[in-house]
Amino acid sequence: MGEMMDALLSPLTQGFVRRALGAGLALGAAGALLGVFIVQRGLGLLSDGLAHATFGGLALGLLLGAAVDRAIWVALPFTVAIALGIQYVRRRTTLGGDVATGVFFAVSFAAGILFLGLRSARSAPVNVEGLLFGSLLAVSPEALGVILVVAALVFALLVWVGPRLAYATFDPELAALSGVPVATLEYLLLALTALVVVVGVKTVGVVLVSAFVVIPAATASLLGRTLGGIAALAVALSLAGTAFGLFASYHLNVATGATIILTLGAMFFLALVLRRR
Amino acid sequence: MSDALRARGATVELGGRRILDDVSFEVARGEFACLCGPNGGGKTTFLKAALGLVPLSAGEIEVLGARPGTSASAVGYLPQSKGFNPAFPAQVVDVIVANRRGAWPVWVGAADREAARAALARVGGEPLLNARIRGLSGGELQRVYLARALVNEPALLLLDEPTAGVDARGRAEFLDLLAGVAARDDLAAVLVTHNATAVRRLAKRVVYLDGRVRAWGAPGEVLDRDWDRAAFSGHDHEWPPAPPCEDE
Repeated sequence: MGEMMDALLSPLTQGFVRRALGAGLALGAAGALLGVFIVQRGLGLLSDGLAHATFGGLALGLLLGAAVDRAIWVALPFTVAIALGIQYVRRRTTLGGDVATGVFFAVSFAAGILFLGLRSARSAPVNVEGLLFGSLLAVSPEALGVILVVAALVFALLVWVGPRLAYATFDPELAALSGVPVATLEYLLLALTALVVVVGVKTVGVVLVSAFVVIPAATASLLGRTLGGIAALAVALSLAGTAFGLFASYHLNVATGATIILTLGAMFFLALVLRRR
Repeated sequence: MSDALRARGATVELGGRRILDDVSFEVARGEFACLCGPNGGGKTTFLKAALGLVPLSAGEIEVLGARPGTSASAVGYLPQSKGFNPAFPAQVVDVIVANRRGAWPVWVGAADREAARAALARVGGEPLLNARIRGLSGGELQRVYLARALVNEPALLLLDEPTAGVDARGRAEFLDLLAGVAARDDLAAVLVTHNATAVRRLAKRVVYLDGRVRAWGAPGEVLDRDWDRAAFSGHDHEWPPAPPCEDE
């Protein structure tokens, strides 16, 4: 038994695996807690849209001459600005959130493609596949540092404002009457989503990051009865699914991000079957 | 001591339309007032202005001697439409405790739970304490929201058509509840209603609102008034589109 465990955990002797695990777990915890609010507000499409906006931000960074690892410093403010823009349109017009998201997402992605094409012929080639599908096993020590800081910031802020944000999620008018700054918290939620999505794109890629945020919270929502229970379960499922997916992908020699999402997806379908009717 | 509610020339314009025009009346502490009038007459808008949710374009409203929205915990509000998010994992106890704390309770402690139970007991809804909000009937929901409004021991209750969409029996039960609540000397209330039975039973004063205050006084004076042109001196070109309240 002990030998089997040793064999299963042997990848941890390698630095890049330890970094991948640290990045995955930190992002999993922050993303899952964030996901609880995203799911309760029906904003799943929004995190997907922001992931596509991140592509535009990274491409802009590359166009401005940043290295692939440093482009994130352009993508972070770019995506936060897009998130705030979407929220502004949601609040100030009668267009639905999905319409605002759809417009911003398509425009940013199109701009990203344009930015990549505009780079000079001499600049280093970019692995677009890496952007689209992520590379958890290629997380550099610097990238790990950024992920840990962002995850800790998002987690701490959500724990702090979570009860008021939850009240605004249940009923914004009643929350406002109790003195909750509803509009400010909604802008904050979108900005935090943008942060998590940008660093998430580094690990699981543009296409899968939204699922990484949404699936654990969706699974927990099927099983839990109270907000506290759902939040705790979402974080636990995300941590377990990320660790399992990472080790499984290493031993099976398959794509890590996809294996994590499939693990989280399997948990979701299991919950769908097991939930109390 | 200040009035529970005092409006002076309160005017609200939304999207270029004047919803409330120069509305003035007051509700004394401990007084139960009913706000009647046709749909679109500005009753809900008036309550929202008194809560600080809708800004006044002219005039003023004082709530318990303060600006609207500044004494939130002393005002209990029962909204007409329950605009809560049905996907949210909310139990009755959470909804009541949220009003006590001003934040959603991730964890409900013993003191909060007891306060919620006591508020529900006052409206005969104690068995609902741990029920999920989304499974409640219209009548149960009204009880829960009344308990929610009462949990902070308010000095003023603002009730927006609480019996709309509730069947006749539920309506009668709810009026009994309100009568019990209104019996407390120190609690003032403004009840928006179309129900003449409710007005006759509960109100010490009736305000008939149709954009402007068309009439106000004791229920007998307003409800049984001969609604002829003379009743609207100064507004004789504006005929009331409907009697102020309807028997059901």
